[in-house]
Amino acid sequence: MDIFEFYRKEQWPHVFCPGCGIGTLMNCFYRAFDELGLTLDKTVFVGGIGCSSRVPLYINSDALHTTHGRAIAFATGLKLARPDLKVVVFTGDGDLGAIGGNHFINGCRRNVDMTVICINNNVYGMTGGQASITTPHNFLSTTTPFGSKEYPLDLSEIAVAAGANYVARWTTRHVHELTRSLKAAMQKKGFSFVEVVSQCPTNFGRRNKMADSTAMLEWFKDNSVRREKTRAAALDHVDLNIAGQITIGEFVDRNRECFEELIGVEKHG
Amino acid sequence: MKPVIDLALCKACNICVYICPKKCYSKGADISERGYFAAVVSAPENCYNHNREGKLICELCVLSCPDQAISWHPETEEERKK
Amino acid sequence: MRTPAGEYFLQGNEACVEGAITAGVRFFAGYPITPSTEIAEGLSHRLTGKNGVFLQMEDEIACISAVIGASWSGVKSMTATSGPGFSLMQESVGYAAMSETPIVIVNVMRGGPSTGQPTRASQGDVMQTGYGSHGDYQVIAFAPATVQEMFDLTVDCFNYSEKYRVPAFLLSDAEVGHMRGLLTVPEEVKVVDRKEKGLMRQDEAYDVPDELVRPFPTFGKGHKTMITGMTHTDKNKIEPEDSKVHTELVTRLSKKVLKNRRDINKWEMMCPGSRTMVVSYGSAALGAKEVAAKDETVGLLRLKSIWPFPEEVVHEVASKCDRILVCEMNLGMLYWHIRRAALEAGCKKIELLSKIGGDPPTPSDVRHKLRAMGAV
Repeated sequence: MDIFEFYRKEQWPHVFCPGCGIGTLMNCFYRAFDELGLTLDKTVFVGGIGCSSRVPLYINSDALHTTHGRAIAFATGLKLARPDLKVVVFTGDGDLGAIGGNHFINGCRRNVDMTVICINNNVYGMTGGQASITTPHNFLSTTTPFGSKEYPLDLSEIAVAAGANYVARWTTRHVHELTRSLKAAMQKKGFSFVEVVSQCPTNFGRRNKMADSTAMLEWFKDNSVRREKTRAAALDHVDLNIAGQITIGEFVDRNRECFEELIGVEKHG
Repeated sequence: MKPVIDLALCKACNICVYICPKKCYSKGADISERGYFAAVVSAPENCYNHNREGKLICELCVLSCPDQAISWHPETEEERKK
Repeated sequence: MRTPAGEYFLQGNEACVEGAITAGVRFFAGYPITPSTEIAEGLSHRLTGKNGVFLQMEDEIACISAVIGASWSGVKSMTATSGPGFSLMQESVGYAAMSETPIVIVNVMRGGPSTGQPTRASQGDVMQTGYGSHGDYQVIAFAPATVQEMFDLTVDCFNYSEKYRVPAFLLSDAEVGHMRGLLTVPEEVKVVDRKEKGLMRQDEAYDVPDELVRPFPTFGKGHKTMITGMTHTDKNKIEPEDSKVHTELVTRLSKKVLKNRRDINKWEMMCPGSRTMVVSYGSAALGAKEVAAKDETVGLLRLKSIWPFPEEVVHEVASKCDRILVCEMNLGMLYWHIRRAALEAGCKKIELLSKIGGDPPTPSDVRHKLRAMGAV
């Protein structure tokens, strides 16, 4: 697929800051989508509000740019009313975990067939760098000038506990692994969740001695630990904790029956 | 194949310079029309995909470039000999 | 799948279910809340496994979001709620208005503010329905007063919402919703379907009411639609900084409803031309209706649709009478609109009979108030 078959030419180039990880995720997604041979006309992209949720606006397909935090709820309605369409949700850490946390947990639980891609940049980027639910402990932001005293939320572990069929987390430093996981997620029947820890040099790195996007990539590389290894670690382990550890890998891959099969909408469409 | 940077898209984040395992890229010294010190492909002959056709390998730069500025182009005869 | 023609003895909420089924609802998302729960219960029976989807979501925000999502896939979709749930939905009501999504929201009103009186009737959500979300927009709202109207106006909600691509509301209340009565389902029910983009019929160009309403670009048909709540142009481009685009868009959203007021507005008139007129709507009008039926010096204008505000008929009534009594089950909401319109029309005396607490104004309440006004 040609690049401008996939992206909307009239929206090009995109608005993201220099060095933003969302562009990297877009490359990986384009690659995964292309290699799977999916058709754009039978795919709907849903986004909430925020930097990451702008991605659907650039893809040359039907896009639903919704209200803040509700993307999964919109996608649930869309998917159940038209089970033949493929639904991909682009969302961010604030959109998915903070304002939309309830929809996220219940989306995983309900297990409707959709792929949710969360671009976790540890900060509210579009509004200027306020602390989010995934800001690591003691990191600075415009609303935590003395360091964030809250502990961050582990979105992927929540997805595992809530019942998603496929959960993986990678950083933008792991482009090949990420592409592979995106492919697996889109092929998976049921709720699949891919979390991408991404760099926000402008609003997160700049306030935490990593103003260069490459410094953030280096940080990801040095602090990423495969999940197999962290399972043996201390029980009070919190993701992205004081030590800044990022757990990466495929968290779960299972085949719970998905909701549309259970209520039978697949049969009569 | 050789990587080429589109100066109209590059925003000089230098991720390619950092990520390339073969040091093909270097930081730019000239301001592009868009107003950035766009990175340059200084040593394309080091690339894993030098003189390679068909399925490419590595591709860290193309996948990582946040501005979709890097693309693959066939080499000229002269470049092939390097 | 529609309700067979005939006579039924039903509760108001059950009549709403039959109306929705007859209008062709295919998707319902709800969350339990008194006094609207019967609608969700009824539709879970009528939709699940029968070419429809019933969803119980995690909260009301999710309900309206799912309903908007389902609507973009091209099916008629609705949700039902009451006061507190309706307040939660407001952000997405604005989204539906901005993105021009046809959805139906049934609000079985209960006493507020906050949790208030969950089991008692009220008309406290009238202003919230018209102006609840931020920004300028117009919606369509109907107020049923009988079991029959719960059916008829539910069908109308779907019809007008599909025709004008706006969110439409059925503003029922606990009194009408739980009232039992006779429902006559006619042989022929007029059902309007969405005018989809790309479906050109031979005899007419895109069959939309006027140039203010655009054909609906259903998802999954290759239109490459981009739906957003941001300021956007017709050509799938977001322009949040462009004042001209914003002005054009928001003006059109309001105009498409206001300009078609005559098509949308419905009312019932008793003893037109009386020197004393009662203006009311919903279950608050039932007491006044009894008074007007017995006393020909008292007329009644019962509004069946309250948004867009029926300017013309109120103006016409006010220009021919000496005094107007507005009956409402709140402390005065539509009263201010009616008062303004009536003053403009030259009627000097406009008073309000407001009754809150759960009981609709009785005929004696109305007569008492009319006597105090010097009308009877």
